[in-house]
Amino acid sequence: MTSFSGLRPLAMILPGLFLAMFIIGYPVVDLAYTSLQEVSRFGKLQGYAGFANFAEVFADPLFWSSLTRTAIWTVCVVGGTMLISLPIAIILNDDFYGRGLARVIIMLPWAISLTMTAVVWRWTLNGRSGLLNATLMDIGVLAEPIEWLAEAQLAFTVEILVGILVSIPFTTTIFLGGLSSLPQESYEASMVDGATRWDQFVHITLPLMKPFINIAIVLNVIYVFNSLPIIWVMTEGGPANGTDILVTYLYKLAFRFGQLGKAAAISLIMFGVLLVFTILYVTLVTRGDRQPQEVADE
Amino acid sequence: MIRAKRPALAVSLLALAALAGPAMAETTVDFTVAEYSSKTGPFFEEVAAAFEAENPDIKINIEVVPWDTLLQRLTTDIAGGTAPDISIIGTRWLLDFAEQGIAEPVDDYLTPEFKDTFIDTFMAPSVIDGKIMGLPVAASARAMIVNQDLFEKAGATPPENWDQLYEAAQKISALPDTYAFGLQGKEIETDAYFYYALWTFGGDILTADGMSGLDSPEAIEAATFYKKMLDEGLTQPSPTNYSREDVFNLFKQGTLGMIFTFPMLIPQLQAEAPDMNYKVLPFPEKAAKATYGVTDTLMLFADSDVKDEAWKFIEFAYGDEWRSKFDHGEGFLPVTKNVAAEEYYTTDKDIAGFAAGLPYAKFAPTIANWEEIADTTVRALQQIYLGQATPEAALTEAAGTINQIRGK
Repeated sequence: MTSFSGLRPLAMILPGLFLAMFIIGYPVVDLAYTSLQEVSRFGKLQGYAGFANFAEVFADPLFWSSLTRTAIWTVCVVGGTMLISLPIAIILNDDFYGRGLARVIIMLPWAISLTMTAVVWRWTLNGRSGLLNATLMDIGVLAEPIEWLAEAQLAFTVEILVGILVSIPFTTTIFLGGLSSLPQESYEASMVDGATRWDQFVHITLPLMKPFINIAIVLNVIYVFNSLPIIWVMTEGGPANGTDILVTYLYKLAFRFGQLGKAAAISLIMFGVLLVFTILYVTLVTRGDRQPQEVADE
Repeated sequence: MIRAKRPALAVSLLALAALAGPAMAETTVDFTVAEYSSKTGPFFEEVAAAFEAENPDIKINIEVVPWDTLLQRLTTDIAGGTAPDISIIGTRWLLDFAEQGIAEPVDDYLTPEFKDTFIDTFMAPSVIDGKIMGLPVAASARAMIVNQDLFEKAGATPPENWDQLYEAAQKISALPDTYAFGLQGKEIETDAYFYYALWTFGGDILTADGMSGLDSPEAIEAATFYKKMLDEGLTQPSPTNYSREDVFNLFKQGTLGMIFTFPMLIPQLQAEAPDMNYKVLPFPEKAAKATYGVTDTLMLFADSDVKDEAWKFIEFAYGDEWRSKFDHGEGFLPVTKNVAAEEYYTTDKDIAGFAAGLPYAKFAPTIANWEEIADTTVRALQQIYLGQATPEAALTEAAGTINQIRGK
């Protein structure tokens, strides 16, 4: 083990680090460079513009409303996904007849591209010819068809629900992996002590699952924050920009309006927000993890 | 950074050419084709094959791109230094391309005989600062289509003006499960659906002094009229959930009395609702007669290294037999005189109904940042349809934003 001291381990990860920095770093540097330039309608750089692009972004009310909506979108989708995925994973971890089939059903949405899922939902939610309204009216829940995507608030709620649905398979997979690695002895010991299943969940499963929950939160926040297809396909951020999140607004700016400089600035801001979130969250989590250990050591 | 890619590209092309061996003398012309329908790609492949048979040293590389992603695709291609040599674009984007020096003026290539084959009306939108920046490749005009079965059932007569339309609408919407007027409220061309009313009410997108015409009394009156129809249940409910295709689908199902549309709907109607008794009519009038003339442009890229070869192909593709086949296949109005002279365009009552509007057709103004202006208009309309703002407030605000975008 002594051979791993000094510069040697650093030297060993250097090629990988270099490659990663190049792949991740180059687009970011390019983006930062672009965001400080005046950019033509078709992406040709016209010269240094200072922070003009950023000033324009911050003066834009649509940017701020999209930012708020992005926060709501991320918190609701990730939170909802966590709340639903953990019980699903616990159920699927128990051995029961047909578990294999149940697991396949839960994982299936993952196999379909996000865009296709969104297209299917767009049809399903169509007011006059959509399957959902037809079903609800057939079973007598609705008397009149509802136009699910006509108004921003309802449309956004529906989009959040679809967002949760498509995030479940990935999150459940992480949780299933975590659950199957938990030591069975703790459960057996707690049963001897007379713990109920709820006690086991709160005092054994949750604490032991913490690292898996944390990684699921970080990864989901990154995916969901940046997720374009669901909202884009279902409403294109409309009506009247009422369902725009940062990434749909960015897409419109860049590829419809040709404001690539402003779009680059927003893109960089989004990168910054995610970076800060990830660093903060990881710091908080690792600090929280260390405490009990340190207390025990003293 | 962007420049660096060009030598790299050149090197890889050289390498490819070296590998190709005997085909080294071949010149490749990259042609980006906008997909109008499933027939577009095969049609241009056929033209290219015929051209290549006559010109074995030139290869035409066709790339079919859907309209929804065309502008995005061209933007990234241009920014990345891999722009095609020729492309079909919406004429409304042409000014942006011309201003940025992306489009090559074609005056020097265009022989007088070739120029003379085009109908002047369609050539006009491609002329920017006295230079021809592209050739018209497709044209359509808009019109109203009515479902005559519903009109008969309701005892109404197809309208010629907006007052008659309102009366007929009241009768038709009294029928069960029927809406009189289809109102589009989301996505592409939601603004156009409003321009039809704006123009016929006597307004315009831009006023004579170049300011936005959205806050004019005519515009507010037109929007108020749409909103009134919506509130009284004369349109389908919640138009903000209906894209152009959604409204068309309602019409095909026979639940709508009247819609405003383009000629390309006719083949769809014949295929999907063969029993429907429909009729093509001009837009209802109030203060003016109007229709929306839309053209697309074939553009030559200024950066192309094979302009002469590309032009040779363009001249070939504008041959009468090809133009005729293209226009018939896609349901477009002809842009060349020889095709327009065909009997078909006067005897076919559907096409004739659309072509009838051409003398008084309005075109989208050739101005910069058109897409952003259209989006601002759509946002205002959606606020009106949703009842979030009065027509006056929403349109006045939109006009202010548009003037700002235009730097007025």
